[in-house]
Amino acid sequence: MGHTITEKILARAACLASVRPGDEIRATPSRLLAYDFPGTTDLFFRQMKQDFGREKVVKPQRIALFIDHMVPAREPKEEVLHQQTRAWAAEQGTVLHERKGIGHQVAVEEGYAKPGDFVLHHDGHVSQLGAYGTLAIGVRRNLIEAFISDQVAITVPATTRVNVRGALQQGVMARDVFHHILRVLGPGSCNFQVVEFTGPTIEQMSFDGLQTLTGLTMFLGAISSIVNPNERTIAYARERTTTEGFEPLRSDSDAQYAAEFDIDVSSLEPTVAIPPSPDLIRDLRDYLGLEVHSGYLGSCASGRLEDLEVAAKVLKGRTVKAGFALHVVPTSQRVLSEASRLGYVETLVDAGAFLSSPSCDYCYGHVATMAPGQRAVSTGTLNVPGRMGSTDSEIYLTNAAVVAASAIEGKIADPRRYLA
Amino acid sequence: MTTGLPAIPGRVAYIFDEPNFDIDQIVGIENIKLQDLDVLTRVVMKRFDPDFVSQVRAGDILVGGHNFGYGHPHIPPMHIMRHLGIKAVVAESFAPTYWSIEIAAGFPQIPCPGILDLAQRWDELEIDFAAVCVRNLGTGASMAMAPVAQRDLDVLQAGGIVPFLRQQQQLKD
Repeated sequence: MGHTITEKILARAACLASVRPGDEIRATPSRLLAYDFPGTTDLFFRQMKQDFGREKVVKPQRIALFIDHMVPAREPKEEVLHQQTRAWAAEQGTVLHERKGIGHQVAVEEGYAKPGDFVLHHDGHVSQLGAYGTLAIGVRRNLIEAFISDQVAITVPATTRVNVRGALQQGVMARDVFHHILRVLGPGSCNFQVVEFTGPTIEQMSFDGLQTLTGLTMFLGAISSIVNPNERTIAYARERTTTEGFEPLRSDSDAQYAAEFDIDVSSLEPTVAIPPSPDLIRDLRDYLGLEVHSGYLGSCASGRLEDLEVAAKVLKGRTVKAGFALHVVPTSQRVLSEASRLGYVETLVDAGAFLSSPSCDYCYGHVATMAPGQRAVSTGTLNVPGRMGSTDSEIYLTNAAVVAASAIEGKIADPRRYLA
Repeated sequence: MTTGLPAIPGRVAYIFDEPNFDIDQIVGIENIKLQDLDVLTRVVMKRFDPDFVSQVRAGDILVGGHNFGYGHPHIPPMHIMRHLGIKAVVAESFAPTYWSIEIAAGFPQIPCPGILDLAQRWDELEIDFAAVCVRNLGTGASMAMAPVAQRDLDVLQAGGIVPFLRQQQQLKD
């Protein structure tokens, strides 16, 4: 009986011949990632010294920190937190990426998403490194273990395999594929498991799309998700990997899965996750015409080149409706730079989009806060009431093309008429 | 499943029977960044039961439905629940991010398929780790706990991830 890619990665990280779901092992992560936020990194720094008497973190070279929330700082206490993070990184000799973009995207750009690697973060959206065959898990406050110890305890997760087939229609994006899978499987369907995406649609999907797909799998209850690397992945990773190599792994053909699903997306239409929960997936056509007041195109789940490209196509030669606030936040500085080079920025700004520098802050309402009664279309991660402002505001999660089309009409709109 | 965790008897202070329950609703999304326990005491459970704070007592437990803790759970909802004396949460099943946060805090989370049929609000339950079950002390009925990783039980017994890791460190030293 063969093994899944997840089992193989964990077995290698634990120096074991093989592991099976349910095994409780100790594994060595090759990389620790963390962004500074009150109650996370500041807590780890303090615990390390006060609770464990450690002045130096274990393996500082495997740690990469990010300052991507509260950027730019809005209040002095936020800048104080960033100062502490900078000082800690300098003291410990760890890498710090500040103002480079949303950490999960910057991690990919910096070559931290190596096929076959085992990566830990405190945040679960790091699962999007799975687009490159990396097993990346968000362990919340348990990350402290990796600061003081080479190895961490982990229970080997079972895997659900989702085979996706069919060509996507125009105006349908990876976000819709994820929504559809969530609608079919259900929000608790993969609890404590890893989701392995396979199939012709996955093979054809851009890395931007794969990051969207894998970055949202916490809403299936999964602890992570992964795609078996192919030649394209390895070429992509090789371009970004400098001194260290990597050894990709793939699932065996006779690997055992907790469940297997076959999803045909050839007739899939644009979707929307309606408030108050990200699992309330509906067909977009049932919400067309609903008045919306703002749009957010960004976050670690979107805002990449592919998203900006489709938004530029929709908005080229058109204008954002008067009074509608379209916030476009490229996921990273590199994405912003490339989008600028390709002319997307000019198109979006000329159409009336408000373009901001890369930051996580729009996604959770730290800026661009919504008033009671307002509605937004968003490519963000979450739509619970209050996520982006007042608890009496509403968030409709859609793909980037829908956000752009809705910005033109000031109501939820079908992007296909603008892409035809 | 081996643990020296003592049995937890407790009255059911509230049942969140909605599947995929987002615990941030317990304090309201607008309050999820609050840390002041006095302020949290004033807002907790207002949308579910305005009298909750006056009725809850030390040693009570909460009951949840399927995939309890779904979404982007934050720290304050269960922090205030512990402050009010809640000793454990028993649910049909748990969402992993929530589970990870609360086990690390040393807060017992008990997966027990069938608990919604076993318990009514204000019933007296007993979480029996030795017998690996949850018992309704009023009716005598019981339901088996679902398996929990040994490591999670050890973390709970130590009182959370930090005391657990300190114990491990002391053992090494």
